[in-house]
Amino acid sequence: MTRLGERAMNAGDMWAGRDAGPVVRPYALTGGRTEPADGEVLDLIAVIVASRQAAGAGDPAGHSPEHRRILSLCQRPVTVADVAADTTLPVGVVRVLLADLILQGRLTVLPQRPAGEQPSADLLKEVLHGLRAL
Amino acid sequence: MGSAPSDGAADRPLAAYKILIAGGFGAGKTTLVGAISEVRPLHTEESLSTESAGSDDLRGVDGKTTTTVAMDFGRITLSSRLVLYLFGTPGQERFWFMWDELSYGALGAVVLADTRRLADCFPAVDYFEKRQLPFVIAINRFDDSPHYDPEDVRIALDLDPRVPVVLCDVRRPASAKQVLITLVEHLLVTEGNK
Repeated sequence: MTRLGERAMNAGDMWAGRDAGPVVRPYALTGGRTEPADGEVLDLIAVIVASRQAAGAGDPAGHSPEHRRILSLCQRPVTVADVAADTTLPVGVVRVLLADLILQGRLTVLPQRPAGEQPSADLLKEVLHGLRAL
Repeated sequence: MGSAPSDGAADRPLAAYKILIAGGFGAGKTTLVGAISEVRPLHTEESLSTESAGSDDLRGVDGKTTTTVAMDFGRITLSSRLVLYLFGTPGQERFWFMWDELSYGALGAVVLADTRRLADCFPAVDYFEKRQLPFVIAINRFDDSPHYDPEDVRIALDLDPRVPVVLCDVRRPASAKQVLITLVEHLLVTEGNK
């Protein structure tokens, strides 16, 4: 936490005063980074899961508590939006942290229907069936 | 319902789809999402553009460059492998840019109309028509709202005759569910016509 902590402290100096925002601004958790390290902006409903081969691997230095929390949430397939909601972190912050873990090979993005592609009738019928059964 | 993993859930692919819930401020977006889905808070951290400086009271917050936007966000677990996500589109025009991301890859959209302020849903209708994202109009009935025939609303909104217009009471889960069913049925018809 030292690296992130120092950054947060430095940033905190600039905000000192009556109108300072929250004690830790959200992007302090990413060390001030606002862009994912791999440049890929994950869709809100991109599905991610912990990589099988990474299971049991040690906890690399540099993982923040937020990285660890995300890894534990991703033990089963979840969406980016789920992770943001479960961690109560802003989506932009979650994307940066997820990109770190993806680059480290700890998380895998599961392939989905290409966003530009129309959904098939079979899929729509499955959705319809599911809705009616609610 | 419930999102507890079944045996072997980690091995099964998860298919996630999204539907947008749009409409003017107070048209019932939050209520609809809450009536039909498992709701959790979702925030994004967005830059405050200079254009928004006029609409935001920025006195006393010099140097603030981002703002937290709360979105309506709900999850409907349809089966062990199929999950539907509802996203309420932010109402204010200064968050317009977020719509592009939200609508990308969406199955379709529900535009909630409040007949007391019908014009409030014009921007959403225009947007989805331009993006060619299929949508339905759901007229949310408020106790004090004037009684309109759905066909009058269709004319007032200058809608394509194929766009479904339905009456609903989004406080009722059964009614909210019927709105989503109408949308997916509409998607099936649209799909079948290609």
